[in-house]
Amino acid sequence: MNRFLCEISAVLRNFESILFGRYPFPPGSLGLIVHSPSETTTTPQPFSIKDFIGDGFLWAVPKHRRSIEVRMKRKYGSPQYKMKTLYENKKLQICDTCGNYYESGILCGFCYDKVRKETTLIKEKIMKKLHLKPIDSDVVVLYEGEKGEHADEFWEGKRIVEMEKPRPQWFSKNLLQKTTQPNATTKEVKPEELG
Amino acid sequence: MNAAEVTKLMSELKVAVKPRHRRLKNPGGSEGRLINLSKTVTALLKYERIEVHYSRGDEARGYAERLISDAIRYGDQHKPTMEMADFWLRDKSVIHKLFKVLCPRFENYKGSATRMFMAPRSYNLDNKDVLKKYKLLSVLELNGNPYPPVLPDRSQKNRRLIHNVLLNEARKEFYLQKQKSESDKDVNEEIVTKHPVENINETETK
Repeated sequence: MNRFLCEISAVLRNFESILFGRYPFPPGSLGLIVHSPSETTTTPQPFSIKDFIGDGFLWAVPKHRRSIEVRMKRKYGSPQYKMKTLYENKKLQICDTCGNYYESGILCGFCYDKVRKETTLIKEKIMKKLHLKPIDSDVVVLYEGEKGEHADEFWEGKRIVEMEKPRPQWFSKNLLQKTTQPNATTKEVKPEELG
Repeated sequence: MNAAEVTKLMSELKVAVKPRHRRLKNPGGSEGRLINLSKTVTALLKYERIEVHYSRGDEARGYAERLISDAIRYGDQHKPTMEMADFWLRDKSVIHKLFKVLCPRFENYKGSATRMFMAPRSYNLDNKDVLKKYKLLSVLELNGNPYPPVLPDRSQKNRRLIHNVLLNEARKEFYLQKQKSESDKDVNEEIVTKHPVENINETETK
């Protein structure tokens, strides 16, 4: 409605300018004056927040403007403390054994997964064998076909836990073997002493 | 007056124990905290390799080390040590293990009795709780356990590098020379000790 009136007033102003030239009267002298009936009847009253809110209620509202710096820090974090944005992990390294990525200072996930699975298997076997008996000797874990390598007397007094499968390739038996062999006990013998 | 050496009153540990306590969850109060820690210590001595949260494992590790070193130092005839073992080891069959298996194992051990690693994080992003839970998981183990080693064998990693090949050859040469010189020495000694051997033979025949 208001817009329609505005358009009419614009048309009238246009008609006026055609009749009397460009600036014959101060602008708006012949314009339409729109008055709503309610505005004319109200008497001015002192401002009260209750008139404004009515039956509703008002939450707490910001008292001060947040500076741009604070707004940015709330959005993206601060490099001094903690960034909220995505950033690259500079700790990633490549495992020498399996070639997967791992974080430095933390075990390689792929390699450790193998170890964890084997460990749980051995642990279950040991607990099954041990049950509730007091533990008084070290456990020797043997894989398939390893018991026959020594005579029965060798295994006496040792708590043997046998795994019913071949030894995994990566679980070497000889990890505690010395790399440098002890000196040979053989002696050089002269040919005359042989006979 | 000779003051007692303070450093010898308590057994020296081979791991650094932090002076402050770790911030653990302890809904059972300070008593519940000790009970939880003793459960971890018992599990460590029993299973020899466990996975625990880092802070709990780190604190339990110190207690386990202290228990083992005290057991080695005082033996099973010492009343306070036995009481400590009774308190920290909730599974009583592990007390036997402590004195019969672990004491001989770590008596002449060069390093510490326990070892700790950070376990890999779980990147299961669908479950945020899992990520939170696995964030600081660690592997705590006793040395000399029967399980496969946690760290892969890296001794052969760079053996094909030229300086390692040269060093290996130099080492071989050194050992060969050493063997040769020792065998020469043996031959010389034999010549010296020849006469006494003959004498013994004579006495036997008489």
